[in-house]
Parts: sequence; C-alpha cells; structure tokens
Amino acid sequence: MSARLDLRFAGAGGQGIVMAGRVLAEAALRAGRAATHSQAYGPASRGGASRSDVVIADEEVVFPLVRRPRVLVILTAEAHRTYGDDLAPGGTLIVDTEASDGDDGLVLPIVETAARIVGTELASGVVALGALSAAVDDTDLETLEATIADRVPASLRAANLEAFAAGRSMVR
Amino acid sequence: MTIVDIRPHLREWAMPHVLCAGCAHGIVGRAFLVATDRAGIDPDRMVVVAGIGCSSRLVGYLDFCTLHATHGRAPAFATGVKLARPELTVAVFSGDGDGLAIGGNHLIHAARRNIDLTVVLFNNEIYGMTGGQVAPTTQRGAIASTTPRGNTEPAFDSVALMIGAGASFVARASASEPFTLERIFTEALTHRGFAFVEVLSDCPTYFGRYNRLGDGPEMLAWLTRQDSRVAEPLAAKRVVDHLPIPEAPPGLDLGVLHREERPVFTGRRSG
Amino acid sequence: MKQSRLIQGNEACALGAVAAGCRFYAGYPITPSSEIAEYMARHLPEEDGVFVQMEDEISSLGAVIGASFAGARAMTATSGPGFSLMQEHIGYAVMAEAPCVIVDVMRAGPSTGRPTSPSQGDVMAARWGTHGDHPAIVLTPASVTEIFELTVRAFELAETLRMPVIVLYDEVLGHTRETVELPPRVEIAGRRTPRVAPTEFRPKEAGPDGVPPLPAFGDGYRFHVTGLTHDERGFPTDEAEVAGRLIRRLHAKVEAHRDDIVEVETLLCDDADIVIFAFGIVARAAKEAVMVARAQGLRVGLLRPRTIWPFPDREVAKITAGASVVLVAEMNLGQVVREVERAVAGNARVEGLFRADGEAIDPEEILQALAPDLEGAAR
Repeated sequence: MSARLDLRFAGAGGQGIVMAGRVLAEAALRAGRAATHSQAYGPASRGGASRSDVVIADEEVVFPLVRRPRVLVILTAEAHRTYGDDLAPGGTLIVDTEASDGDDGLVLPIVETAARIVGTELASGVVALGALSAAVDDTDLETLEATIADRVPASLRAANLEAFAAGRSMVR
Repeated sequence: MTIVDIRPHLREWAMPHVLCAGCAHGIVGRAFLVATDRAGIDPDRMVVVAGIGCSSRLVGYLDFCTLHATHGRAPAFATGVKLARPELTVAVFSGDGDGLAIGGNHLIHAARRNIDLTVVLFNNEIYGMTGGQVAPTTQRGAIASTTPRGNTEPAFDSVALMIGAGASFVARASASEPFTLERIFTEALTHRGFAFVEVLSDCPTYFGRYNRLGDGPEMLAWLTRQDSRVAEPLAAKRVVDHLPIPEAPPGLDLGVLHREERPVFTGRRSG
Repeated sequence: MKQSRLIQGNEACALGAVAAGCRFYAGYPITPSSEIAEYMARHLPEEDGVFVQMEDEISSLGAVIGASFAGARAMTATSGPGFSLMQEHIGYAVMAEAPCVIVDVMRAGPSTGRPTSPSQGDVMAARWGTHGDHPAIVLTPASVTEIFELTVRAFELAETLRMPVIVLYDEVLGHTRETVELPPRVEIAGRRTPRVAPTEFRPKEAGPDGVPPLPAFGDGYRFHVTGLTHDERGFPTDEAEVAGRLIRRLHAKVEAHRDDIVEVETLLCDDADIVIFAFGIVARAAKEAVMVARAQGLRVGLLRPRTIWPFPDREVAKITAGASVVLVAEMNLGQVVREVERAVAGNARVEGLFRADGEAIDPEEILQALAPDLEGAAR
C-alpha cells in the first residue's frame, strides 16, 4: 500500500474550494501520481459549510474519502465548527483570519487577499493553495502553477497566479 | 371524395374486439383510419401510442406500429418515439381519464413543447374499462359508480386547457358526425406541431345506463343534439333532481377551434 | 507517465453511455445524478443524438422506452425519489421487453432524506421495486473507471436481452473524481433483428436463448407492444397457460445468461478466514481494511459483486466455503446481508456492519467490526 496524503479544504460555497481541490489533484496527476477528489456540500449553492477533499498517493488511492486530513484548510467559522476537529495528530492547519478560533496553526488573511487581488472571494481557494504549497513539502510548485493557469479563464490568469504567489509569501 | 376501404388497415386476426356494442369508439377509429389514408401516410411509418382504457385498447386493432403504454403516459412514450425517429408519423389515442387525470401533466407538457404529435382524446365522460367511475370530464350532476348521488365537481374543458398549454392545433368533434371527424383528423395529421382533437364519444354501458340516456343510437342522437349539453338532458330525466341545475348551461364548441404556426420541438440542433 | 484524466463518476457514466452508442437521454433533474443529464445535454447533440428534459421521472423512462422501440439505445438517470417514480415503467420495460438503461445514484432516504449524502438503501428497490414477478439485472460499480465500464456493459445486456438494466452506485462515487484511462471506442453487441419477412413476424416469439428479435418502429414490421400479458403475437391474452409461459420466459432468459451476467471480484479470499462482502464505495473501504489486516498477518479477504442482481449466490457459497466468518458491510440497515446468509447457508457465521446516516463506511469501521474475530484469522 502506497503512503497517502489526505488534504481537506473546508469553507463555504462560492469560495472556490472545489476548484482548489481539483487543481491539487490534477497537479498530482501531472506529476505522475494518483489522486482522487471528493466533495460534500449542503443544499445551498452559495454559503453553508462544504468541504473539498483530496487524496494523493504514489500508485493507487484505495479508499477515496478523507477522514483525518493531514492538511486542513479552513476558510469560515461555520466550517471551523464542522470540520475543525478532523485534523490528524501532528497535521498542518491553515485557517483564515476571520475564521480563526485562537488556533495553533497558520492563521492567514486568505479570503481578504483573494478579494483584494482578484476582486472575488471565489479566488480564496487559489490563495489557500499558495499557502498550502509553501507549508507542505509534498507538493510540486511548478505543476500547481501550470494547473491553475490551465483551469482559470485567460482574463483572470495573471490575477490568479498573483493570488497564488501571495498565498505562498504569507507562509514563507 | 372516394370511399376508403379501411379493412387493409385493420388487424382482423385480432378480432373480435373488446369494445361494447353501441360504443362509438369504433366510429372514431374508423374515421382515423380514413384520415391516415387520405393524408397519404405510409402505414409502415405510422405509430399509434395509447394509454390505458377503452379508447387505448382500440390501437391493438390498427395495423400500424402500435404501442399500448401505461395509464396516462402515452404522450411521454410518443415523445420518445418521435424524437428518436422524426420521420415517423406519431399519434396518441387517449381517454378522458387517461389523458386528463393521471396523464394531465404529460399532456400539457407535450402541448407546451409543440412536439409533432396528433393526440386524439376520446371523451365518454366516464371510466369505462374499470366499471363506470366518475371522470374529470363527467358533467356536474351526472351519476357514476363513484358519484351515486350525482357528480358535484366541475368538468374539465380540455380545449381551453390545450390552447392554454400551447397546442398549435386544437379541435373538438363528435362521434355522431363521422365525416367531420375524418376531415378534422386529416387536418390534424398533416398539421406540423402538436395537434389535439377531443372527440365526444359515448358509453352506453355505463354513462348511458347510469344516466338513463339510452343505448348507442339514442346516445349518438343525444351527442348530435347537444349544443347545450351540460346537465340539461340529465336534469330533464330527473335523475339528479336534488342538485341545482347550472344557470345557462354552456354549450361545447365544435370544429377546429385554434390553429397557429409555432416552432416545433425536435430535440435536435437542426429542427 | 500515464495519459490520465481526473473524471467525476457521473461524467464517466455519461461518457460510457455515449461510447456504448446511447443516442437518446430523457431525464428530470435530481441530486446527486444531475451531472449525467448535464453532460448528455452538452454532448448528445454532437453525436446526432437527442436529449430531452421531461416533466418528471415517470415520463422520462416512458420517453426512453418509446425511443428504444424507435431503435435508439436509450437511457435515463435519477436518484432515490425519482427511482421510486420510475418503478412503474421499469415493470413495463420488463414486460414489453424494451432495452433501456436506468442509472440510480443512491442518496440517503427514505423520501427526500439527505439529498447530497450517499447510501446503499435502494438495493432491494432495484430488485423488487416494481410490482409483479419480474427478473432484474443490476450492476454495482466501485470506481469511476468501473462506472464507465459497467454503464457500457449495461447497454450490452439491455440490448441483447431486451430488458431494463440498472446501474446502481452511490453519491460518493457519483461525485468523486478519480484517475481514469478510458478507451476511445467500445464495441458492444446490439439487439437482434428479425430474419423473417414482416408477414411471418411474431414479435414475442423467442429464439432458443429466450430473447425475441426486435425490429425498430418504421422498419416495415408493423407490430403491437403492450404491458398486458400477451401471446407470441404480442397481443393481449387471458389464457393462463400463455400468461405463465410469458412470465417464465422473462425469467428464464436471464437465468440462461446468468453466468455471463454475474460478475464478482475477489481479493485474497483463497486462504481467508474472514471474507468481507461489500459493493460500491464500501468495497473500497473494505479493500483498504483487507490490506491493513493482511499487513498484520491476518487472513482477511474481500468478495465484491460487480453484479448484485441476479445475486451471485453460487459464487458467494463457493468463495466463502473455507471461511468461518463473512462480514457484510453495507450503507443501509441490512438488505444484502440476507441474501448472503441465504447463499452461505450456515457454513459460516454471517455478521453485518450497517450504516444508514448518510455517511460512508470507512476502513477503520470495518477493522473495528472485524476486531472480535481477528484472533481466529491470525496465522
């Protein structure tokens, strides 16, 4: 059984966390690894608590769901209440400033940065990806950037890459 | 006009049929066959879809491709046939309970789409096959096995319903006027879009018997007479004297009552 | 590096259908299956196919059956509440022998339940939901790749056996994106058409395999189709002998092809003292549990049906013959476990691990459920 890395983005609809998860999984594929992406959501297309989970493994992801993420990104207070206790012992926690509850992890102004640089909270996931790529060894910077560039509309490419870089610089 | 021999269009091997003596559905079926012939439809390319009920059993005797579907759902099955193979001519035979009660939703949505179908709705004001229960078309005051003291509900006006839903050809005719029926069916079959024809038919076995309207011939005469049909003949026979007679009973308009050209739904990129 | 794509289960279902030649889709929006309809709406027109959004699930399957008789490979997809509405026409498709594919992406029920959460609560509804005596073929994929494969397979079985075939998976598989490698083209066997002239054609006269040939409406064969009990001419009958013959043939054609229809996959069952029986997403958790247990030297194996109906009873009996415990894990309160008990017939102890709260069973829960028996499974 190959070692696996479980990651979770938790937030609200409209923050781009599903896209962030898909980008992370696709980047892993491009780097020659196996990945799965799953999501859970409530009835609301905007707002509510939702999660976007990624499992990365060297060969095969046997069970595709995440239970105890080793990396947990939290973007809203509601997501904090729902998913805050899920982090695996010794795991990495990244929390948005507004969602923080006096946490031990990296507390960063993710949502605010997304709104400032790209002009929409939808880019929060991209900022979070940047922070995550700096905080977690097991990610490949180049493939992540290339995947983001492919995923977003051309008109927003530069802004998203800037948002990604801003996320990285928050951690370094 | 030449006389059309309908026998080549019948499955005589499937006879005798299940309909009662005096039932006018056969007259309607005959007029439909004449119309398919006059419209020049290739019988190999004709599909008739039916729901459940007396009128729907009729399709089994027509020598086309015939799809005897489920109760009320014939417009849905017909939608699938027509969209999958647009070169076929597709018609639906439905009863008043079939088309207006259990199948009302399918009927109105087929009309709204203006899919190229011809729907014939046989209205005998009763559920015949199940033994004479009240229908959504049963006039107020009439007796049925489930309205033993007279029907207290108003009847559906299917023509108004179909015009409202978007049918692009809407007509009403009577089984007592078979030549008019042939003409209207021919027009409906050649109309491009959703064509709806309500046909006033009879049910001597249940509606006629319960309401003392006589046997087949008397009922046909009654159908012919009724330009103001609602409740009057019934009240005259005093079977429902405990119910108030509606003021100025409205007559039912006959003929082609609505016709328009509208885009036809084909489900394909090029209509 | 593999040429891989990250594809969602529901998209793989639609891709499989199109690859199998599906050219007609009718459906009604419902979570968590709507992505299948959305994909079909985008791509079927490019294949000269037809997508139509109907007024409900009853009419959706009705339109699919109509399209099928007009010669199209046709399908619909839905979830629990819509699946309930489709039961009427599943029975019709069995009786009239209409080839069609129905996908049920299971969500937590009963009723509206938890629309965005998974379950395996429709297993018995897929088998027995429509009234009357009828056969059923139900396939249960456990990965995104397998959703593609078994959707293709469902079309092949539906077309060759002239009956509805159900593809049954849960919300997790429907929405999970996985690495898949898909074949660009697939070839499947289609329906058999009559060899006799239209005047000689008897629409419900079956060949030796129990399946009558089926021409399309418009091909020159003018025939009658009905949901009423009918004779070989396709015409309604009230004769008990003819009725019995029809119903028995509908079952017999499935039984005759049973070994071809039923597929199971095993993992390390040969020496297993404990065999886990699981399908769909639960089989993925079970596989991980087996790998963990084996790493500890414990003799645990996995038996996974790709076909849940007809139930693989002979395979279960054979594969569990040497086991002392069979653990059935399913996301309901115990539906398939009774079938497993019937198949095991007392030769092993059958235990159940059930969950019906809208959350998926995970590997840890399975290991916990196994714990009391693991001592016996030690080498």
